[in-house]
Amino acid sequence: MYSFKRQSASSAIFEMFNSLLMLIVCFVTLYPIWYVIVNAFNDGADAMRGGIYWWPRQFSLDSFQAVFRSEGIMTAMGVTVAKTLIGTPVHVFFTAMVAYAFSRKELVGRKLYMFIGTVTMFFGGGLIPYYLLIRDLHLLDNFLVYILPAAFSFFDLIIFLSFFREIPPGLEEAAKIDGANDFKIFYKVIIPVSMPVVATIALFHGVYQWNDYFTGMIFINDTNLQPIQTYLYRVVAQSSSNQMLASMPSGMAVTVTSQSLKLATMVVTTAPIVFVYPFLQKYFVKGFMIGSIKE
Amino acid sequence: MSKARRLMTSMVALTVVFTMALSLAGCSGGKSETNGGSTAATSGSTDAKNTSSTGGGEAKPNPDEPGWKSDNAPITFDWYMNFSWFNKKWGGDATAEYVTKKTGVSINFIVPAGNENEKLNTMIASGKLPDFITLGWSEEAVKKMIEGKLVLPLNELADQYDPYFFKVADPAKLGWYTQPDGNIYGYPNASSSPEDYKKYGSNFTSNQTFEVRKDMYEAIGSPDMSTPEGFLNALKLAKEKFPEVNGQPLIPLGLHEFSETGNYSLEGYLQNFLAIPQQKDGKLYDRRLDPEYITWLKTFRKANEMGLLSKDIFIDKRPQMEEKIAQGRYFAMLYQRSDFDAQNMSLYQKDPNSAYMAINGPANSKKDAPTLSGPGISGWTLTLISKDVKDKKRAIEFLTYLISEEGNKDLFLGEKGVTYDNIDGKDQFLPDVVKLLNTDRTAFDQKYGASYTYWMLMDTNMNLQWAPPGVDPQKQMADWTKGKSISMSEFDNLDPPSTSEEGIAGSKNARNWGKLLPKLLLAKSDAEFDEMWNNYVEDRNKNKQDKIDAYRQKAYEENIKKLEALNK
Amino acid sequence: MNARAGIEAEWEPAAEKAKERKLWRKIVGQRYLQMMALLGVAWMIVFNYIPMYGVIIAFKEFDIIHSISSAPWVGLDHFKEFLEDDSLGYVIKNTLGMSILKLVIGFPLPILFALLLNEIRSIVFKKWIQTISYLPHFLSWVILGGILATWLADVGIVNKVLMALQLIDQPITYLAEPKYFWSIVVTSDIWKEIGWSAIIYLAAISSVSPELYEAATIDGAGRMQKMWNITLPSIKGTISILFILAVSGILNSNFDQILVLRNSLNETSSNVIDVYVYNVGLAESRYSYAAAVGLIKNVIALALLLGANSITKRLNNTSLF
Repeated sequence: MYSFKRQSASSAIFEMFNSLLMLIVCFVTLYPIWYVIVNAFNDGADAMRGGIYWWPRQFSLDSFQAVFRSEGIMTAMGVTVAKTLIGTPVHVFFTAMVAYAFSRKELVGRKLYMFIGTVTMFFGGGLIPYYLLIRDLHLLDNFLVYILPAAFSFFDLIIFLSFFREIPPGLEEAAKIDGANDFKIFYKVIIPVSMPVVATIALFHGVYQWNDYFTGMIFINDTNLQPIQTYLYRVVAQSSSNQMLASMPSGMAVTVTSQSLKLATMVVTTAPIVFVYPFLQKYFVKGFMIGSIKE
Repeated sequence: MSKARRLMTSMVALTVVFTMALSLAGCSGGKSETNGGSTAATSGSTDAKNTSSTGGGEAKPNPDEPGWKSDNAPITFDWYMNFSWFNKKWGGDATAEYVTKKTGVSINFIVPAGNENEKLNTMIASGKLPDFITLGWSEEAVKKMIEGKLVLPLNELADQYDPYFFKVADPAKLGWYTQPDGNIYGYPNASSSPEDYKKYGSNFTSNQTFEVRKDMYEAIGSPDMSTPEGFLNALKLAKEKFPEVNGQPLIPLGLHEFSETGNYSLEGYLQNFLAIPQQKDGKLYDRRLDPEYITWLKTFRKANEMGLLSKDIFIDKRPQMEEKIAQGRYFAMLYQRSDFDAQNMSLYQKDPNSAYMAINGPANSKKDAPTLSGPGISGWTLTLISKDVKDKKRAIEFLTYLISEEGNKDLFLGEKGVTYDNIDGKDQFLPDVVKLLNTDRTAFDQKYGASYTYWMLMDTNMNLQWAPPGVDPQKQMADWTKGKSISMSEFDNLDPPSTSEEGIAGSKNARNWGKLLPKLLLAKSDAEFDEMWNNYVEDRNKNKQDKIDAYRQKAYEENIKKLEALNK
Repeated sequence: MNARAGIEAEWEPAAEKAKERKLWRKIVGQRYLQMMALLGVAWMIVFNYIPMYGVIIAFKEFDIIHSISSAPWVGLDHFKEFLEDDSLGYVIKNTLGMSILKLVIGFPLPILFALLLNEIRSIVFKKWIQTISYLPHFLSWVILGGILATWLADVGIVNKVLMALQLIDQPITYLAEPKYFWSIVVTSDIWKEIGWSAIIYLAAISSVSPELYEAATIDGAGRMQKMWNITLPSIKGTISILFILAVSGILNSNFDQILVLRNSLNETSSNVIDVYVYNVGLAESRYSYAAAVGLIKNVIALALLLGANSITKRLNNTSLF
């Protein structure tokens, strides 16, 4: 038996230490971001001399201007926004739907389906057969290549499964008595009570869609369908292209982007997706839906 | 029993789904495997398409008349660039718009924003390539595309559609790139034939220089650094006199990045400075085993023992090196000059004395002048035309235009009156244009798009007549290499294909060398160095080095034969 | 005897038929559910199973200009070459070493972080911490690698701080010493991903019914007790699932991360399977070799998954399937 007082005292100490710890975590994770930002806002040639830790030494917007000056960057941003906005709901809804079906114990063939899925996590045919498949599906140079092949992931299905299992069976039964079919139960009952996991997978997949440059690189030749990550890759690639050292004509060197320009490109290409999280956060901070609906 | 039944039923369901999926994949789904066969089929169908599009051109084309002048209806070619850093789009600048106006051709550049080989190999495996393909001549994909019949012979295209091609193409370059089947599949850029050497040779430069920081070098009395003793002594003096640069330790010697397979500065680069021959009496010479070379590697080892090699050089990658060059933290460097143009320029602008300059570097004991890697007939990149090209006639015509003097001039200078004009009796850039070229290359590319913005088929020798004069600090370095740059074409493309037995062994030996090299420099004594060296040579010999050498020798002899034919 | 056998023989098909009918009725009854499941299965067949024939290149010598079917068979040659490679020993040691460290240290930390974060009372503060802690996930390794190289250099900020605190008296070039490599990789990975990995646990925590907490409060449980007795058991399922998946990924490394941090001096502790496959296989266009190593890795990964699954099933009754 604890006395009330003692508990609140220990609670207060805990609270203090915990807050302190969180502040430290914040500082440690925020500082590198800060470092990136101040260097991006510094003059490129000057930043190269190093030693900029807290504040730009020679404040300059040149790097950002250069990023926005890049040809076609707005189209690319549009493509990325579109594939994220379309691809994410499709992926979340489709994967959740299959996951829900797989989560029902009475599903005939469930074990086999799970086996089929598990195999996909480990065995693949490699890039070339996959490319031929995409070609045969007429998805080359097609916006849908960002959506359809990314519509499902067995990995995400497993995460959905683990959450669906925690849903009290009473919920479904009530709906069944009302005469709802399984699909209706899924989107009328299951989805609303599963917002935390839906938001999680939406975030995971949204970030994947945003950051994925590989699909655009391999399957898209049309410049107008290239995603924004292409730009980030390009400025980074310039510094690592050591190929053809000897045979490149003298004087025809790859002009390497300054570190500031790289950082500015990174800021521009990632900032939009970073700001998504606070909007999804409400689902993590106050979930509690299962409990409230149950009443 | 029931369990098995249940499995059966779901199997039935599965089969239904499977067939559904297959039909979804379309009729081609099943065929995706028969890649080789379908390739032929598609090429047949595109052939038909092509002839129909060029149909009507039955009249024999005139070999004296540039074909590209006959037709300037708008057409857009897909052009694959195997360089992930290439970031220009066609159009939006004076040059591209002028060329499009003139020829009707627009280009959709396809540039992989990722691993170039992955993209190119995938396209090759699928059997379909964009209209034009530009890639480094030494890439293995060149051989693959020719072997897989994915690209068209330029000579046949020219015969059929645009014989004017043979008027503008350099016969030496065509001869060099003639394949065993008698066809030519690609045309190089930045290529210099033996004939070019006779004409322009004294102006040819190399990227390979040995640089020192001017102020430091002069402060220690501009010593001779071409002997091992002089070299070590200079590094030592520099370190004693300038232990720190802006509060950070001086790095006495800078090198290219250490990679998985070695270090560019410490291989061909250094061997060229030591003027070690690549062949002796028609037999390829293993430069790595040359005593002069080993002496110098040991000199570097000694430098490390004396504390003159900083750890930085073993771990830094290009961005870190650039940062340190911009800070002027290296005293001396064996570093390709064009790789730090921008940094050197900014040092020079702050204080011309703090910039880097080229001086005589390591030399052999006989004090021979270095034999640096200059332009060669192989050039830099090769451009090929795909068998799936939209319009064969227009493609070869456009290629002809690009390699012709007119095309080179258009792409180098742009449009007369807009980007260049005849000033003082010489066609050259307008002052504003030069100014932008020297200050903001990106802005220049986007606004004017001239001067090698579109370098796919540039002829660097032809362009010399229009080029603006060089400026310091680059000029000093470029001038230093003049007369020391030689062609090494006969040693191009000797390595066996990577999936062959020799290729697999060769890349393994290369990786072993990559692991050995830093250890050699870090060895505590010459004896330790020798022991590691002997082990390496022994391992290499055990791992099929003789077979690799035989392959290279054979390839070398073929090159020689080709070059001799050109000189006739 | 015979008669009985005859009756049985007649009896059995009838029973079978009845069962079959029952099963069909069941399937028809759950047609919506079946449809939902089969759509997923169909997707997997199209996008995973149709291209899966590519696995056979591991047993062939595949060359990009010839089709997979026409490539010559080489049997187990690629597997043999891999298993006989003299760098195999330290490559595996490095792979496992770093993965196990990540599993032992990197796996529990996000859970702890999520639990502690959940105890923060101020909603605003909580939201801020969450958002900030997940930011490093968005820095790409190529760029981060450059930043780390600067910080960990002899004149970098890490040495400056440690020297100022008098924890070391000589600057250390961390990336030049093989012995520091594993800790650099594990630490920077945790730092980059802790907030991101915690998200899923936060989602799990927010699904816990508040009634449980209310009941515990009435029983007089303290915060630590509630965290230990309610929150943690409630997210046990999620933890187990992620643990199983993490165990099966033990042969994988963060390729981008290792590639930017490795160099000629730390090679002996930085070469991992993924880097090896890249250098020996993919960089040389040896797709068959890369496929063979990939196959070995995946078979082991599958075995690990099934093993970890059966262990967690026995221990706390949660499993993947």
